[in-house]
Amino acid sequence: MKTEYGWTGRILRADLTARRWWVEPTERYAQRFIGGIGIGLKIFWDEMRPDIGALDPENRLIFAPGPLTGTLAPGSGRFELISKSPRSYPKETVTRSGMGGFWGPELKYAGYDALIVQGRADTWVTLWIHDDTVEFRNARNYVGEDTYATQIGLGKELGSRTRILCIGPAGENLSRLAAIISETSFASGRSGFGAVMGSKRLKAIAVRGTGPLKVFDPGRLVEISRRARELSEMNPMREWTTRALSLRDQKDFFDKYRRKNTGCFSCPVQCFAFLDVPGAGRSAAHCTNYYYHSQATQYYGQSVERDQAVADGYILANRYGLDTFEFCYMVDFLRELYEAGHIKAQKEIPLDKIGSREFIQKLLENIALRRGIGDLLAEGCARAADKIRDGWKFAAEYFPAHGSATHGKMRGYPEIALMWALDSRDPFIDHHAYLKLGITDLTRPKPYTLSPEHARAVARKVFGSERAIDHSTFEYKPEAIAYAQNRAAVINLLVICDWIYPIFTSQAKKDWTGDTALESRLLAAVTGNALSEAELNRVGERVWNLARAIMVREGRTRDQDTLHESYFRTNNGGEAVCLQDFEEAKTGYYQLRGWAEETGRPTRDRLDQLELADIANDLEREGLLG
Amino acid sequence: MECFAMEREAVDKFLEEGARERPAEEREFSEVYYRRRKSISAEPKICAGCRICEVVCSLRHEGAVDLERSRIFVKPNPFKGLFVPIVCHQCPDAPCYFACPESAIEIEGTLGAVLINEEKCTGCRLCGEACPFNVIRFREETSKAFKCDLCQGDPECVKWCPMNALGITEFGGEASK
Repeated sequence: MKTEYGWTGRILRADLTARRWWVEPTERYAQRFIGGIGIGLKIFWDEMRPDIGALDPENRLIFAPGPLTGTLAPGSGRFELISKSPRSYPKETVTRSGMGGFWGPELKYAGYDALIVQGRADTWVTLWIHDDTVEFRNARNYVGEDTYATQIGLGKELGSRTRILCIGPAGENLSRLAAIISETSFASGRSGFGAVMGSKRLKAIAVRGTGPLKVFDPGRLVEISRRARELSEMNPMREWTTRALSLRDQKDFFDKYRRKNTGCFSCPVQCFAFLDVPGAGRSAAHCTNYYYHSQATQYYGQSVERDQAVADGYILANRYGLDTFEFCYMVDFLRELYEAGHIKAQKEIPLDKIGSREFIQKLLENIALRRGIGDLLAEGCARAADKIRDGWKFAAEYFPAHGSATHGKMRGYPEIALMWALDSRDPFIDHHAYLKLGITDLTRPKPYTLSPEHARAVARKVFGSERAIDHSTFEYKPEAIAYAQNRAAVINLLVICDWIYPIFTSQAKKDWTGDTALESRLLAAVTGNALSEAELNRVGERVWNLARAIMVREGRTRDQDTLHESYFRTNNGGEAVCLQDFEEAKTGYYQLRGWAEETGRPTRDRLDQLELADIANDLEREGLLG
Repeated sequence: MECFAMEREAVDKFLEEGARERPAEEREFSEVYYRRRKSISAEPKICAGCRICEVVCSLRHEGAVDLERSRIFVKPNPFKGLFVPIVCHQCPDAPCYFACPESAIEIEGTLGAVLINEEKCTGCRLCGEACPFNVIRFREETSKAFKCDLCQGDPECVKWCPMNALGITEFGGEASK
């Protein structure tokens, strides 16, 4: 693997305890793991004992763009964060959480393929990376400030072209719901990495990069990017996020307050909407940001106040640095608990006024500042459910596994149930492209999905069988899921956006066929390493096995590859996931992966085949080889 | 565009006289001012701030992703949802052209583009001072100037803008977008 182009060749490491920084070569990771989560997970394997907690100073917080980040490749504005997650439930585990925007490309222009943060500063600091200089600046003035004020203040101090990510009061107070926020609403939220940043007393990271990024074959990059762009033309995602045509209210809300569409670096889709709601504020917004609408509509009906309440919901969450996805389900969870009499309304969180502006404002504020019952909720719904009487009776449907809020339907969709069970967090965040394939719902009308005939044809081509998208059976699901996971790993190590790639289907084409080889061709154009599609999938498989090895070292067993038990029963008319079929499919999946059937541990044979002999040796030493 | 239409005759006259053959230093203000020209127009109201224009510009002109050396740049203000693409207007009065003491800036005949001849440029930066939009950038090492050359009439940034926030406006001829 040549690392001269696409990569910058250097990884920046900042030790906050010693207030020192140094640079390490990328090459030793890039050879086998390319970038993104590949680099991040390898660093964890090498450096982290499994008993280190998410909020311990020894925990690493790794910001990892990939070789395609910051190039012309459509959707190359993202980077991945890898760390031990405070959100994971029941145990903290190493996982990933991506983020879009402009910060990742800027880090590459500053000359770094990744940033590793470790240690804990004695006082609050801001890391200021300006090309070859790195400074630990005093962040005293920003402690307690929200994310918008922090960024605006730092922008004035360091220049308007500086790209900043930071935490708000929620991260400072080590809430497990804390997100890392950049600009108005780019966020790494689902894994609670804001608390990891808070535990390191790191308020913000500002980057300004002025260097060039060398590209192996600019002409070819332009050509392939143009093709990718043509195929992702009419990408339904822009509509999906801000209009969701099936939800009439949501479409009206976004259309009424939309100033413009906006989004990440180098992306033709631009799936955010910049909204200006008078009386509430301005912010870019995305699909989950609309979480408060049904409660607010119940409270206010169709009125301006309803819209302001919805806007409070996402603007305040962004400002306090909280993950909005959790609130999609937390508000319902609290309402059910309150109505059942298991928790009481209190001054800090007026549960008798769910749906009002006052409720959402106080809920977000008191979770961020850990006041009243907000202190418990700041631990995340899963951990709160443990402490509340009968909590899991209400939480189970909303939090199927790993402490992540539900995403994608598991009942009636075997492949999604399997995906969830086998990951370390909500897996669906890497699989948005499958929405377009209709893997979630073949009955949905256009423009979200294609016709069933086309979907079957594409499934034959992509997965090798149309049974892959037959939701009535677990048959052929292990194959489909293994493929999907490998492709997700590829996306997360290059790093490009899963809303665009893999391009299975294209609305711009008559027969709807996309081009799944685009990722490898983009990699070849940018870096000069001509990997075939199959070879790149192999790297994805390697990274997935490395992720599994980390899980196993943390104590993951076959029993834990599951959903909350309530999913195996019917509930409110929701179809049960068939436990026997589910377990059989899991066995099939382990066989396919070459892992031990009883334990789910990787075996030496497969690890050797994947050039992971060193990982196999380490596992053997600890007696964890399958 | 009306004022330019009124001057159509004057433009035609200069074109007929073969303005493009005359050396730069001999050209007169009116001759430059009334020239037929194209320029990139930008609409901040719909610009999403994605920076694709900067990326394609630098790939074409520098052969790398090098946003500090692109000829167009987007000034971001995410908190106001305001992204302003800063483009060279190929100004009718071309202040940079008249500021250059070395005749290193030329006006191209067919497009009316204001071009910098990097060989003649001595790096005095007077053009940068004269530019009302601050779109002329300078090489770090040599301090030589470079700016938008309209990509021979078919600007990459306009072709790639996903929001259609960029367009081409022609003066002294049919306006098009």
